[in-house]
Amino acid sequence: MEKEILEEGLNHNRRKFLSRLSLGVGSLALGSLLVPDLFSGKAGAEEAMMNALPHFAPKAKRIIYLFQNGAPSQLESFDYKPLLNKRMGEELPESIRGTQRLTGMTAGQSSFPLVGSHYKFNQYGESRAWISEVFPHTAGIVDDICIVKSMHTDAINHDPALTFFQTGAQVGNRPSMGSWLSYGLGSENSNLPAFSVLLSRGRGNGQGVYSKLWSNGFLEATHQGVQFSNSEDPVLYLKDPESMSREERRKMIDQIAAMNDLSMQQFNDPEISAKVKQYEMAYRMQTAVPEMTDISKEPESIIKLYGPDCLVPGTYAANCLLARKLSESGVRFVQLYHQGWDQHGNLPNEMRLQAEDVDQASAALITDLKQRGLLDETLVIWGGEFGRTNYCQGKIVVDNYGRDHHPRAFSIWMAGGGVKSGMVYGETDEFGYNITENPVHVHDFQATVLHLMGIDHERMTYKHLGRRYRLTDVSGKVVKDLIA
Amino acid sequence: MLKISSIRSFLESTLFVWIGLTLIITLAGNTLVLPDWLQVVGRSHPILLHFPIVLLLMGLLFFWIPGIDKKPEIREIGEISFLAGCNFAGITVLAGLILAQEEYTGEILTWHKWAGLVVFGGCVILYFFRAMQAKVIRISSVVLAGAIIATGHWGAGLTHGEDFLLAPIQSNNIEVVPLAEAEIFGDVVLPILEAKCISCHKEGKIKGELRMDHIEGLQKGGKSGPFVLAGDFEKSLLIQRINLPLDEKKHMPPKNKAQLTDEELLILSEWVASGASFEQKLVTLPAKNELYQLASVKFEGNKIYSFDAADQDDITELNTSFRSVQPLFPESPALDVSYFGISAFPPESLSDLKMVNDQIVQFSLSKMPLAGIDLKFLKDFKHLEELQLNFTELDADQLKVISELNTLEVLAISGNEIDSESLQNLAKMKSLKKLYLWQTGLSDPDQKSIQKSLSTTEIDFGFDGKGIIYELNSPAISQAELIYQDSLELTLSHPIKTAEIRYTLDGTEPDSISSAVYSAPIFVKNTGKIVAKAYAADWKGSKAIEAVFMHSGITPSKFSLVYEPNSKYKASGAATLFDLEKAKTPNLGEKWLGFQDEPMVLEVGFEKNADKPKDVSISLLYSEGSHIFPPSKVSIQGLENGKWNQLASTIPTPSTKASSARSELLNFELANTNYDKLKITLTPLAHLPKWHPGAGGKGWVFVDEVIFNK
Repeated sequence: MEKEILEEGLNHNRRKFLSRLSLGVGSLALGSLLVPDLFSGKAGAEEAMMNALPHFAPKAKRIIYLFQNGAPSQLESFDYKPLLNKRMGEELPESIRGTQRLTGMTAGQSSFPLVGSHYKFNQYGESRAWISEVFPHTAGIVDDICIVKSMHTDAINHDPALTFFQTGAQVGNRPSMGSWLSYGLGSENSNLPAFSVLLSRGRGNGQGVYSKLWSNGFLEATHQGVQFSNSEDPVLYLKDPESMSREERRKMIDQIAAMNDLSMQQFNDPEISAKVKQYEMAYRMQTAVPEMTDISKEPESIIKLYGPDCLVPGTYAANCLLARKLSESGVRFVQLYHQGWDQHGNLPNEMRLQAEDVDQASAALITDLKQRGLLDETLVIWGGEFGRTNYCQGKIVVDNYGRDHHPRAFSIWMAGGGVKSGMVYGETDEFGYNITENPVHVHDFQATVLHLMGIDHERMTYKHLGRRYRLTDVSGKVVKDLIA
Repeated sequence: MLKISSIRSFLESTLFVWIGLTLIITLAGNTLVLPDWLQVVGRSHPILLHFPIVLLLMGLLFFWIPGIDKKPEIREIGEISFLAGCNFAGITVLAGLILAQEEYTGEILTWHKWAGLVVFGGCVILYFFRAMQAKVIRISSVVLAGAIIATGHWGAGLTHGEDFLLAPIQSNNIEVVPLAEAEIFGDVVLPILEAKCISCHKEGKIKGELRMDHIEGLQKGGKSGPFVLAGDFEKSLLIQRINLPLDEKKHMPPKNKAQLTDEELLILSEWVASGASFEQKLVTLPAKNELYQLASVKFEGNKIYSFDAADQDDITELNTSFRSVQPLFPESPALDVSYFGISAFPPESLSDLKMVNDQIVQFSLSKMPLAGIDLKFLKDFKHLEELQLNFTELDADQLKVISELNTLEVLAISGNEIDSESLQNLAKMKSLKKLYLWQTGLSDPDQKSIQKSLSTTEIDFGFDGKGIIYELNSPAISQAELIYQDSLELTLSHPIKTAEIRYTLDGTEPDSISSAVYSAPIFVKNTGKIVAKAYAADWKGSKAIEAVFMHSGITPSKFSLVYEPNSKYKASGAATLFDLEKAKTPNLGEKWLGFQDEPMVLEVGFEKNADKPKDVSISLLYSEGSHIFPPSKVSIQGLENGKWNQLASTIPTPSTKASSARSELLNFELANTNYDKLKITLTPLAHLPKWHPGAGGKGWVFVDEVIFNK
């Protein structure tokens, strides 16, 4: 008996275990050969999902996102807090600050003196919204926009906050909002990229922008944002070399495509077909882009609307005008970044300059879309990555102060594309520090934007590294109150 | 020590206790009044049920062990676990029966209850007849296992919902009900009743004698009165009961059932308030009605069209690189067609759209050159609602065709000239909800008259910029080179077509009256400066813009520097000064020669028989912030008969403040040309002025070109 037990034990050696295991693995493999989709979830789930896009009738067809990079102060723009002027220089009460973490720039400060807006505020329009004196043109369109005063975010520094706003995650490996929309809805105009990016720099303290913000992440490379620059070549490497004719270029692209198709058949790598599509798009852009950047056909009233700066390539005003032209031509998502809103110091002077550069053109874009009958189908968003503190960074000097980063409450505005107009949404406390009513998290904002485009944010996903990803990560609620 | 046989006999006897209790509760049914503490027992049903499932299935498995009859000790284990399973089955059934009194009703409960009883009964019988033929036992064991699984499945259905198990593999296509077709009762109210009420008020379980699973039942009402009375909150028992406090016994749904949400409460109330109709469509309610607003969100505004969808292949074919043809949303037959790309616009392609005449609802041709194209085809688009024709060069005939499109709701014709006849035609378009007429050349009275004729239409005349005066941008000056040898073409341009550019070539600022007006490229043959300004009506004149151009007539044959430039800023030495390439301001070391400790002393010679230059120009860099100042002295000497004579000199105006980096040109006319060689001396500032942060230190001189002309 004992011998038998011993033999039995010896028989269960590693070799035997592995050979039996191989049988099991082999049968799994056989099974998956016979039924190819056995382990891939519902057959073609991704495709079925894509075919069903948009999930419902979209309210907006296109988006123009005027990103104010660096985080403009809500307290000098849309969130009027007279208490801060009244209690100028007094200490921010502990009960208001609570457990809010601070940046390394003010964490060491021994005192947090409250500071009120240097600019005057007035009420405008039927909504009686408070707007500061440095945004007179925005005040003029107040009944066409919806100001959200109760935005909040998770990040407290520029890079993660920007990345969070654009990709739904603070680390930079996810697709940008524009890439998601390009993936979900494609381009209306196959001669232009669905996602275009325009950059400008203001006169205030600036923060960088970088191409990861318009990255396609794990989506196919065709969904990457295409940057338009203000140089002689608005899109780099698009011109044919001298003495190369259109016909020759066509032939060359067809040949390359034929060769790529051969390797596609051999390797079946989707990157190859993405490449073919990109060559084709670039060829079409060769005629479509010069049409875009030509402003000679714009009426003079347009120049007065956007301001003469719009004739100077690379300015925010010129980018707003170009954004309208791109959007009008069916570009799904036009992303502007305007740098220079990081007023840690010298705020009263710098913010005025920043506002001067963007106020007129931002308002002009709304008016311009409206007079063409395009505002109803175009969603325009204006805002930064977070807000600024209600206390002064460093010491308050007469008429000069600065504000640090504040993720708990800040203001943005949206217009057109199915958003309620002439509305102020959300409220902050008297100190402008905490949200007291209708908070809107960045993921809620993203869910709402997708909803306006006819997309259920929970249903537009992409499977990557074994899990499904979406723009709103694992949270986000559509803010129905904002939808007209 | 406890013997196995005594455990067995104990378990066998408790079995009969469970059988007895089960019989009582089953037969007594609903007439039984159970004490509260028994509810706790009942609610432990979901925990208990796992024991009999495992134990019974395990026990059954033992019957299948080959040769089990010859291994009594192993068979014993199986039998004991089976017996324990039987006991737990009894307890679980009892708990289940108690729980069933509490809240559960419905068909699925009946199935679960009786299957549970069958399992209990079956396993008891199987246990006592375990000595039967192995074959019979095995067949019975399979049947019993099946019954256990079925019971479990129905039970899970009660807890998680009926379709829980198979939901992942069932198709989950939800039928989209378009807003226009949605019925108040069928699509908004009924789903709430189905989710929260019907399980207790339906065939087989008609609580309060009210049946809610068909309309007749709802119309009839229950034993206490009518279910709903149109518009009467007090007599409608539905409204009464759902609004009672939660603790009230008659509150509906009962306390321990899923409650109505605030939104559902509101919908039910609004339904009764609006007449409690069983047929009315949602769209017949006024848009301000709260029920309409709540419900329309659910239907996402998917507007329904009664016409058939176009052939999918046709749609695919119509989508090209210049034309997008898309349904408004998936499964909508309505199409949105847009043209893109002015340069690639093929007018003949418009006739392709015949294929989808019936389906086009939105159509955009904005910016396409439509001059001379017959637009009558638009009349074939029977369901066209939105038409975008901004900036399409429309003429009166085309506008007439457009004004006859009587299905249109939105029309955008901004950027087209509209004459008075067309205006009258447009004024007849009463169906329009929105009309865009920006940049159409309409006078104020014209605007007023059309707004008066179309009083219900929202008309946007846009921004005309009248009365706003901005400063013009400066014109742009373009020139191929800064330093040229024969002649140079200067081109001036301005992005605003109506702007007039005026310029001077003598270095003075141009004015809007006497200065030359630019009309064609200017050719220059000397060294000098062009200054230009732009003017236009309704604009302030621009700031002046200037550019220098340098003519280089004579190249020296020999040149040398007496002192080397500073080692950091020596570029390519003296040759740099004659390379005819104007340096850019920031590249200090590459194209600029820098001098600080020693002056620049340059000696140049010319071909013996050639003309000697009379004009000398020196190109210098000034940038006070970088300590680069005008030289304190410039002198030019000529070697005549072995003697140096002064031919020209100047003391440049000293800087009084720091300005940004800029290039300056100093021009000299020599007193005579009888020299053999020239010596040019630039003396750096010995002491920086007091206002400068580096006061007292030495200034720099930077020079990039020295140019000689006749």
